[in-house]
Formats: sequence, C-alpha cells, structure tokens
Amino acid sequence: MSTSTATIEFEFERTIPAPPGEVFDGWLNPKIPGNPWNLAEKLLLNAQVDGFFYWLIKGNSHYGRFTEIERPGRIQHTWMSRSTLGEETMVTLTFKRQGDDTLMTLVHSGIPDTEAGRGHEKGWNYFLNIFPEQFRNGSRKEK
Amino acid sequence: MGQLSDVLTAISHPTRRAIIGQLANGPARFLDVAKPFDTALNAVTKHLKLLERAGLIEREKRGREVFISFRGEPLREVAGWVHEYERFWNQRLDQFEQYFKDQKKKGKKK
Repeated sequence: MSTSTATIEFEFERTIPAPPGEVFDGWLNPKIPGNPWNLAEKLLLNAQVDGFFYWLIKGNSHYGRFTEIERPGRIQHTWMSRSTLGEETMVTLTFKRQGDDTLMTLVHSGIPDTEAGRGHEKGWNYFLNIFPEQFRNGSRKEK
Repeated sequence: MGQLSDVLTAISHPTRRAIIGQLANGPARFLDVAKPFDTALNAVTKHLKLLERAGLIEREKRGREVFISFRGEPLREVAGWVHEYERFWNQRLDQFEQYFKDQKKKGKKK
C-alpha cells in the first residue's frame, strides 16, 4: 500500500482550572463532557498501555491503542477512523501544572491531508452557527 | 490570499474572538464592545482595527453614534481551511474546559 499521502498535525492548548491529576482522570472518564469518550453511541475503553478503545458516534467507528499512560502527565494513543483513511494516526496529550491550573496540550499527528478532510461544506455552518458561542469566553489559547 | 491572512490573524486572538461572539448578537457601540474586557480602550481599538481590516466588522454612523456590527462573509474562505479534526478537537476541548470552569464555580458557591 502506498504511503505517499502527505500528513498534517494539529496542536491545541487549553488552560484547565484544576490540578493535573484531576484533568488527567477527567480526560479518561466517559462521564466528563468534552473528552472523546463522552456521548458515545457505543464505547469500549481500556485505558492502559496496549489497551484498546472502540468508539462509535454518529455511525462512525473509531479505534485505537493506548501506547503511553503516565498519570498525571501524559497520555498517548493511536487513532483510526474513516477520516484517517485507515491510517494509524497518533494523539498525544500532556498535562503540566501551571500554578493552580493545568496547561493541557493535545497533538494529533499523522493525519492524511486530503480535500475530504478539510470539510468545505461543514466548515461554513460551523463558523456561522457555533463559532461565536464557542469563543464567547475568549479563553482559548492557540499557537 | 491577502484577506485570508487578515482573517486568520484577526481570529487568532481570544479577545478578538470574544468581540466577534459579542457582535454576533447584534451591533453595539464602541464602549459597549469594550465593556466586558479588562483591558485599555486603545487596546480594544487596535483589536477592532484588525477585525475591520479583515472585513469581519463594519462601522455605521447613526445620528451622533457609531455602531459596530459583525460581518460573517469573510469566514467563508477560512472555513475551507479548517480540517474536520480541528473542529472536532476544538469543540471537545472547549466543552472539557467549560466543565472544569463550571465545577470551579460550583465549588466556590458551596
């Protein structure tokens, strides 16, 4: 199989008002809003090194294997879905204490850079309908 | 590409995104726009200039007052550059952050 598809990487940062251990645990708890496991239609989650996850949302299946679990500082797992075109991409999270808060960084790397992934159609609705609400608090940090 | 760069610059700052969010509710006067921010008025002026350069806001004189309003059209070009995983993770992380903020507020109330 050809592996010539160019890949891209996204990096996100958030400052979470809680200590790293709490944020780390929150990220792996399906009951906490915002982590990938929340709101799943079906979820199998074994958050330990070499543990697998299966996550179904809106009919789309996602699979992965945890490669690093180092509480409270780091989580890394692979990520495969229809959008990765069967390629194994990598999600790495780090949690660093910043005073009373946690600086949380998420890097999603190895994503095939395709036109389909860029989502032209959905993007416009996203900005018009959700963007102002999402940014009302103005608290996002980006690089 | 000029305008795309201007729009990307304009939305790269949290204060400017917050201004957009505020103006998405409807036009407002300068002092009303500046009110929620704990920053100097001339800093808000600079933010507004960048938003104006990107075409994301426009000013309209009504009598003696000037109203600032949001224009969404320039975001159409940017939307084409947003990957679905950018949207996905940003939405998820915003929710995650908000959850902890809400928990902190609840803790303070107790």
